Amino acid sequence: MAHIELQEIRKTYKVHERPTGKWSVLKGAFIRNTKIVQALGGISFSANQGELVGLIGPNGAGKSTTVKIMSGILTPDSGTCLIHGRMPWKERKAHVADIGVVFGQRTQLWWDVPISDSFQLLRDIYDIPKGDFQVRSQELALALDIEGLLSTPARQLSLGQRMRCEIAAALLHRPKLLFLDEPTIGLDAVSKLALRAFLKEENKQTGVTVLLTTHDMDDVDALCNRVMVIGHGQLLYDGAFDGLKEQYATYQGQDIDEVIAAMYKELAL
Amino acid sequence: MSRTLKACRSLFIIRVTENLQYRAAGIANSSISIIWSILQIVIFTIFFTLGDATGAAMTLTQAITYAWLTQILWSIVGYFTVDAEIREKVINGNVALDLCRPLDLYAHWFSKTMANKIGRSAWRSAFTLIAAVGVPAALRLSPPVSIEGFLLFLISLCTGALLCVAFAMLMAAVRVGLTWGEGPTYMLESVGMFLNGNYFPLALWPDFMQGFLLFQPFAGLMDIPFRFYLGLLAPSDAFWVIGLQIFWVVAFIAAGRFLLNRKISHLIVQGG
Ligand SMILES: Nc1ncnc2c1ncn2[C@@H]1O[C@H](COP(=O)(O)OP(=O)(O)O)[C@@H](O)[C@H]1O
Ligand SMILES: [Mg+2]
Repeated sequence: MAHIELQEIRKTYKVHERPTGKWSVLKGAFIRNTKIVQALGGISFSANQGELVGLIGPNGAGKSTTVKIMSGILTPDSGTCLIHGRMPWKERKAHVADIGVVFGQRTQLWWDVPISDSFQLLRDIYDIPKGDFQVRSQELALALDIEGLLSTPARQLSLGQRMRCEIAAALLHRPKLLFLDEPTIGLDAVSKLALRAFLKEENKQTGVTVLLTTHDMDDVDALCNRVMVIGHGQLLYDGAFDGLKEQYATYQGQDIDEVIAAMYKELAL
Repeated sequence: MSRTLKACRSLFIIRVTENLQYRAAGIANSSISIIWSILQIVIFTIFFTLGDATGAAMTLTQAITYAWLTQILWSIVGYFTVDAEIREKVINGNVALDLCRPLDLYAHWFSKTMANKIGRSAWRSAFTLIAAVGVPAALRLSPPVSIEGFLLFLISLCTGALLCVAFAMLMAAVRVGLTWGEGPTYMLESVGMFLNGNYFPLALWPDFMQGFLLFQPFAGLMDIPFRFYLGLLAPSDAFWVIGLQIFWVVAFIAAGRFLLNRKISHLIVQGG
């Protein structure tokens, strides 16, 4: 049985628009225009344990929405999604105990307390046995090179340092599945390389499934054995990254971002 | 369940210690409390000396003590807006992050609200208390009426604190998923602000309202504990009065849980 199985997942958002122009504030108090925005128009795919999947697509394509639905924090309008045999939003607590999630643009560490205190708190939240916690936090601190940061509060860390701590925090409880929504956003080259190397090694060692969204094609190239392209809420490509390059590159050795731009253009995204 | 309890306990401790770092803010806030108390005391004094105070349910000394108690305990039982941290999460979409934890969201937020309350109030309450016993005798906080009265005051204060957090949680549940701002929660909060005795001791309101005033939920926040302290409620009343408080705690928790669970099932998580 596949580890992740999505079928015909649809999601729309209601957006309230304020009237514009003269008297708009007054009008807005009485009239509200609602508009329906389609974020996902029936997405289906499956993935097996241990895969490294990259989810790409232009801004507003529906990547974050897909990740949120799979994380159990957003309920789709229709469709089914089974992860470890559970519907994430129906059995949220059991589901999130088995997964790790990192949103690149938000922090899940407690802002004012040292990283090690955040880790202790996570130990209680995920009910990690004491011995295992010690082993695991040391091993992650070593691999992510954050041993020197553990006594620093999250708010004093640089973005790259914080992201490494976030990833360690998401893996403390040895989840079988890790979702990363734009984990490399805003990171410098060194941090990006370190993060990729770590994820690759972690996947090899523990067999954790990693699904990440990114705008950095080098992330996908270096890390993922499978790439999915989402546009306008549809799955447009699913397969090896090399296949994607072959299909859309116009000449040998074309810059990867140009290839992707050409693809987005061709698919009218 | 035990995991939730254990995690909430750790969350509670971490938040309280975090908040205790802000001693300077505590001192600043206590000066507001002290000014408020003195203003209220001046108004009570005018009211009692110029007005006809014979037959009033309270003496001036009791009213002065009431004013101090209100301010000393204001952060714990006088103030029940949605926890600032939770409000921020609801607005910027970080509720999502709390939903990624294998915890009961209501219990998680309840302990967070309680911890922020206690952590933030500690310094403020301590400094206000020092002022309350340090001012000239005419303005001073009086000791409790009796040992029993004081014990019942402490017990009903604990229930009152639970009630306060349960109400703040109901406000939080109302706030979740609201795209049009703070209006509804502000309205509910201002009603509570009048009915808990924060501005004016409930015993001094007209007689025909007294029955209603004691039964409504907000009396359990400040007014009931303070009445035990002042001796306006006899220890023999404790059973039903504290029972009433507990009833409201249970009712607010049930309503808050129900609403929050319903809201999160169709919550839209903001932001990419
Ligand atoms: N909370 C929301 N309210 C309204 N519309 C939203 C909301 N979140 C996302 N959308 C819309 O849904 C679409 C997909 O968004 P998202 O999944 O965040 O895209 P991506 O992460 O690929 O950039 C976009 O058109 C976006 O405007
Ligand atoms: Mg996104």
